[in-house]
Amino acid sequence: MSDVYNFLIYRKKSNETESRYEKFEIPYRKGMTILEALFYIQDHLDSSLAFRYSCRGAICGSCGLTVNKVPQLACRTQVSSVKTAKKPVKLPEFNFGDHIGWNEDDEILIEPLPNMEVIQDLIVDMEPFWKFYKEVEPYFTREWKDTAPESHQSSEAAKSIETLVYCILCGLCWLCPVNAEKKYYLGPSALAKGYRFIADNRLSEEHRQEIKQIVWDEDGVPACEQFFVCNRVCPKGVKPGTAIKQIRDKWSTDE
Amino acid sequence: MKIEEFDIVIAGAGLSGLRAALELSDKYNVAVVSKVHPVRSHSGAAQGGINASLGNTEEGKEDSPEKHAYDTVKGSDYLADQDAVMYMCEEAPKIVIELESMGAPFSRLESGLIAQRPFGGAGFPRTCYAGDRTGHTLLHTMYEQCVHKNVQFFDEYFLIDLIKVDEQITGIIALNIGSGEIVTFRSGYIILATGGFGRTYRRSTNAIINTGDGVAAAFRAGIPMQDCEFVQFHPTTLYGTNILITEGARGEGGLLYNNNGERFMEDIAPKAKELAPRDIVARAIDTEVKEGRGFEEAYVHLDLTHLGADRIKERLPGIREISIQFAGVDPIEEPIPVQPGQHYSMGGVGTKYEGDFGETELLGLYAIGENACISVHGANRLGGNSLLETAVFGRYIGRLLLEKGLPNSPAITDLEQAEKDAFNEIEDLLKKWDSNNGKKPVEIRDAMGFILDSKVGVFRTEAELNEAYNLLCELQKEFENVYFPSKDKKFNFGLVRTFELRNMLDIAEVTAYAALWRKESRGAHSRIDFPERNDNEFLVHSMITRNDEGLNLETKPVKLGIFEVMERVY
Repeated sequence: MSDVYNFLIYRKKSNETESRYEKFEIPYRKGMTILEALFYIQDHLDSSLAFRYSCRGAICGSCGLTVNKVPQLACRTQVSSVKTAKKPVKLPEFNFGDHIGWNEDDEILIEPLPNMEVIQDLIVDMEPFWKFYKEVEPYFTREWKDTAPESHQSSEAAKSIETLVYCILCGLCWLCPVNAEKKYYLGPSALAKGYRFIADNRLSEEHRQEIKQIVWDEDGVPACEQFFVCNRVCPKGVKPGTAIKQIRDKWSTDE
Repeated sequence: MKIEEFDIVIAGAGLSGLRAALELSDKYNVAVVSKVHPVRSHSGAAQGGINASLGNTEEGKEDSPEKHAYDTVKGSDYLADQDAVMYMCEEAPKIVIELESMGAPFSRLESGLIAQRPFGGAGFPRTCYAGDRTGHTLLHTMYEQCVHKNVQFFDEYFLIDLIKVDEQITGIIALNIGSGEIVTFRSGYIILATGGFGRTYRRSTNAIINTGDGVAAAFRAGIPMQDCEFVQFHPTTLYGTNILITEGARGEGGLLYNNNGERFMEDIAPKAKELAPRDIVARAIDTEVKEGRGFEEAYVHLDLTHLGADRIKERLPGIREISIQFAGVDPIEEPIPVQPGQHYSMGGVGTKYEGDFGETELLGLYAIGENACISVHGANRLGGNSLLETAVFGRYIGRLLLEKGLPNSPAITDLEQAEKDAFNEIEDLLKKWDSNNGKKPVEIRDAMGFILDSKVGVFRTEAELNEAYNLLCELQKEFENVYFPSKDKKFNFGLVRTFELRNMLDIAEVTAYAALWRKESRGAHSRIDFPERNDNEFLVHSMITRNDEGLNLETKPVKLGIFEVMERVY
């Protein structure tokens, strides 16, 4: 185990169009995560390095970025295992700008999330992501009530949406090649969110139909080409691609 | 200087802030200002659940709001304000049913009702949950409703300071993190909902963003910090990263063992055992480790293996994931290494004795959620009561302000002058940091965390607290000369963290000061030199402000009268 790790990090100022790559040497501490390494840089080497963070426990979804060409959460990725970790198969290739001379054996490469506009360093513009999230109308529309009893749901029905509910909206699934090509593609997470509500048997039939219509728009489910790369990088096992397939299957039998 | 005007500004977009916004946004022009996108808030990290005496299980049939309130007051070591506790516990079943109606995906019983599990310090299975990711599901549900109701958000705006004219709040001054612009939000009502401040410690379960920005801003505006000596150490945080391992793991039957293979909780709390309240379990683990019965002189084992793979996968999937990913331990196969770590801030923004819940001495300024000291947790919070507090008092404050109507504004010239002064003060501070030649923020931050971990921890003594307080005063002086390049303010998170350090140093100093003053042991505050509770002198809240001479401590009576103050035995 080496005492120092070399990092090659994507840099870009918000007012510049050109990006560049910068090298940093990080003294290693047992158990160090990529997020901790980035903080080491911000604290000790270059205070201007910009990246998002919050919980450092893989529940808030802030710190998605690309490590050695694989989108992942910085907080959940051990520095020492980047090289040895099994890569998800058949990931698309991303190009963040002119290359760089990355020494793959010796350097950990840190880049922003793919298919989102870079604002500064590792910070991407999440606005389109949130816009498409909102577009699927991901909410209950029934009146709130606070008098007993609560509306019933079988344990099985509650469990059937459990993995969908665990989505942390981190945006890793936007690595999808369809996101790269189609600017208006709702994207895996928003479609999976749509399915989280469609599949919840407590939702009103009216709103279920509304969401179905939205996700079945040409920029929604039909645009999915079933690469399933989203499933392979999702840090929470949500399997957005499978959710999209379920909408497709369900809809086909309905028609 | 950019100025935004609103009827009400809510600082913080966790559960309490969102719930208040939902209540108020129909009628008023409301802005929710948050340094992170709402779903990144720390409410989402709560795992175990939310307490309500719904009585959905067979064992819980006899439960009631009064019994919930009694457990809460006893758990608080009688320092909680009993009227606020009673209100919260009466509201609890309603608020959980309301959350369900908003779409919260609670786990269910065979009957189809919301499932409830046992939690520490509770007489009945009272904790409603959604797997072991309850906070995450509630935060997302609440945010979904905010999207539905078109609540207005200002994401990635950092609250720097409050603006006031005489003793009336008139707004906040904030940093737009993305653009680097300093922005004034002018408003006659400010609701502080900025969460806890566990990051004053190094060993903490808290998100990196939990730095007490609202508490410190209110403190600088003259509002006392209340009960900051009461810091909850969660007994079971993952060794290494201190990520939370929910009390639900023990609620589901997890057992604690030392390096002799002994279940040490059997001796310490013969009845409640592993499900004794958090302060008691945390002290027990700390003692085992200090007396040489820990592993690697640092942790004990939390054993779930006897629960079997199915139950672990069904009830505690998040815990399994965390253990595998952050410690390389699969709890189906082997015990989880755990140690106590800072977890929750019982103290916070000081509230009025005679007033509405969450009301401060500054007209128009309210505080809710973890950053407030209302006080429903007193000296020790029970698991499952923090999510409850956020939703109950978020709704409460919303309804209260609807009832009150909007306040009259001070004279516009005074208001503008106050805004200008606040702006100039921040500009001066930034210039100073940029031209200083002292230490980097990280050195001061690390030192602060180390001091609190080692000298203001689970067990405390006069000598160590004195030392901690003096060292923290030294750090305050060093911070005066801190160097930070602040010219380029766009997405300058290093700058944000320097502002946060400014906040945390005040809180750390007050924490040590209050702990030094409280010469008794109560709840989470455990003094080796004063091992007994002393109701004659210390059944009071500590209220600390800063004046020209330094810190100034006053006391506030505890609201009693519903439950008799008794010895706390489990």
